[in-house]
Amino acid sequence: MTTSVGVSPGPVTTVPAVRRAWWRPRLDGATTPARLRLLLALLILLSLAWGVLAALTADQHASAAADVVAVSEPLSLDAEQIYTSLSDADATAANAFLAGGLEPTKARQRYQADITEAAIRIEAASALVGSSAARTQLPGHLAKQASAAGTAVGDDLAILSGQLPAYTDEVGTARADNRLGLPLGAAYLREASALLRETLLPAASDIYTRESALLTSASAQATGLPLIVVAVVAALGLGYVFFRSSRWLSRHTHRMVNYGLLLATLAGLVSLVWLVSAFVVGRGDLLYAQQQGSAPAQAFARAEVAALQAHADESLTLIDNSGEDSYQQDYLAQQKLLGPGPGTLLAAVQAAAGSGGPGRDVAAEARAWYQAHAALRATDDAGNHADAVKSAQSGDAATTFARLSTTLSEGIDTHQAVFAASARGGRDAFTGLAVGMIAASLVMVAGCAWGLSRRLAEYR
Amino acid sequence: MNARPRPGVPWRRAVLVVMAASGLALGTAAATAAPGKPPAHRTAAAARAVSAPAASTCDPTASSLRPSGPPQVTSGSFMAKIRARGYLIAGVDQSTYRFGFLNPLSNQIEGFDIDMVRAVAKAILGNSNPGTVHFRAISDAQRIPDITNGTVDIVAHTMTITCDRLKLVDFSSVYFLAAQRVLVLKSSKAKSLDDLHGQKVCATHGSDSVDRIKQHHAIAVQVPYWTDCLVLLQQGDVVAISTDDSILDGLAAQDPWTMIIGPQLTSEPYGLAISKQHPEFVRFVNAVLQQLRTDGQWKSIYTRWLGTPVKNPPPAHYAG
Repeated sequence: MTTSVGVSPGPVTTVPAVRRAWWRPRLDGATTPARLRLLLALLILLSLAWGVLAALTADQHASAAADVVAVSEPLSLDAEQIYTSLSDADATAANAFLAGGLEPTKARQRYQADITEAAIRIEAASALVGSSAARTQLPGHLAKQASAAGTAVGDDLAILSGQLPAYTDEVGTARADNRLGLPLGAAYLREASALLRETLLPAASDIYTRESALLTSASAQATGLPLIVVAVVAALGLGYVFFRSSRWLSRHTHRMVNYGLLLATLAGLVSLVWLVSAFVVGRGDLLYAQQQGSAPAQAFARAEVAALQAHADESLTLIDNSGEDSYQQDYLAQQKLLGPGPGTLLAAVQAAAGSGGPGRDVAAEARAWYQAHAALRATDDAGNHADAVKSAQSGDAATTFARLSTTLSEGIDTHQAVFAASARGGRDAFTGLAVGMIAASLVMVAGCAWGLSRRLAEYR
Repeated sequence: MNARPRPGVPWRRAVLVVMAASGLALGTAAATAAPGKPPAHRTAAAARAVSAPAASTCDPTASSLRPSGPPQVTSGSFMAKIRARGYLIAGVDQSTYRFGFLNPLSNQIEGFDIDMVRAVAKAILGNSNPGTVHFRAISDAQRIPDITNGTVDIVAHTMTITCDRLKLVDFSSVYFLAAQRVLVLKSSKAKSLDDLHGQKVCATHGSDSVDRIKQHHAIAVQVPYWTDCLVLLQQGDVVAISTDDSILDGLAAQDPWTMIIGPQLTSEPYGLAISKQHPEFVRFVNAVLQQLRTDGQWKSIYTRWLGTPVKNPPPAHYAG
């Protein structure tokens, strides 16, 4: 694609007249200055077109990558945190309730921290969804998807912020009644748990699903091939035009090298290399962020939520064992979902954890908890309620669950850190790219103008 | 007898016996206690409701087996099996305050029904050490299946003796006599279920109370547990709760801003449910209950859970 130096007359002259393009005869009839002016206009137009195409390509990838880092990722993180915090609040409130009026300070603080975290995240997510300006920059179909998701997510967030106070109110009443030793407390706790599970968690889950989908789309957009392939093909075409132009010039103007065109060609080359390398680096980072970050984090989060719900079930069975055993049924359902075993949540965690990092022993930890839980149920069913409660609060069931829960939380944190670092790297690869593309095309225009105007001047 | 003023206790007992024997319910006597209300149609409704399933000679309050003297664990009997096992398995309620509830302070199941079971266990095993009763908290719907499939030895679960149930399980003699009434907030202007026409009244799923609420043209809201009803009442989602006064007492005790109103709409004789395969156990339990009635324990259990004034235990009637 560089300017040709000392190339002999090419095949142009050997082409039969009949096969010549329609514009050839007119051009052949024109004077050299007229041809030069025409060539100049063509090259400037093509340079500008390249600038627009390259900048557009850069911008699409950059804005998708920016959305991943600035909006989609924080939103799906917020949604995941809302979900896990609320699940943890449910489990903690139920477990603390078992202690009766003298609720352990630690449990109370943990519950409060969960509610505070959920409230902060709901507010943060609302602010992100509200400032949809960040997303109007997105490419068409993605913007449409984001806007649809934004509306639904806005509704979900309204449910969350509206119902969270109702939930805490019911937990508070449950606690007060429990302190008085009234069975009514258990009814309030059950009501609160039902509100959480039937209204709050589905809303949080919906946000998470939508934002994860959007994150995947934005990531796919940032790493997708179509536009970059178009740009590379266009660049090759442009290179060919510049090659032919400089050869034509060297034949008609008796100068080996036109430095203006050389400059324009180099600028074009630099912009192409920059565009492609930014894309390759950014794509690599974003894919890594997804494969080693958000996907494993999601696997850990889903397992954590199922484990928390089962833990709440364990406590609720003890609190309100009115015989329906629906909570124990739900515990068993969650246990089945969790696994370990093929297709279970813990299998996904193990796959994500690999040989190192948190989650290696997650299967053994889960089994230990299931065992402790089965022993707890056997104790309770044999009429020894007090010992069963002790196991759930500070005994085997409590410690084995804490181990599993800590592993899963650590897994989420580790992989989210990986995601954040890699996704930022991916976004940064696109920094200044669009501006650079426009600058390069302007240099190309300047080079063409300079190079051809000097030849034109010779005809005056 | 409708026109008489509120009867004294001995007279009332006599009426109860007569009414029970004729298959009628306490509704008649209760209706007389309701000031300013014509009792006629309610009496009829109550009578119809109670006697409807008893097309045959069935009498829920006099259908149990007569005990053969004081409680004795005879060899080869079901009681001997329980004694060999070392503990009695009882299906109980965990959420009905004062009858069968999990006391958060002790983490033990306690209440009137529970004390009945403990008395039976003590009579079989000779002591009331911890672990002599394995309590299984069961739902209303589980009561009969758990007895028929042998999951539990005995059910003490505010369970009304009815003719339909008598076809499936045996009952002890009546150990408590309840009646359906209505619980409202103290701010309520309602005097009885009739004043709640078209309004929401709470009861548990599938309870007989639901039918009575519908008969009085109120809207029945159904929830799993009685305490759930109190939550709905406190949150203003229902205007009243209607069920056995024994249960309503327990709810009212948890919220001083509620009160029980209106006449007794039905008679609910409670019995301990036992499998039809163990008639000797039914006789044994009746012997235990008879002891409780006569030695003053029934009254002390009543005082412990339901306070004063203490009622007299319902007299035992047997089917032969």
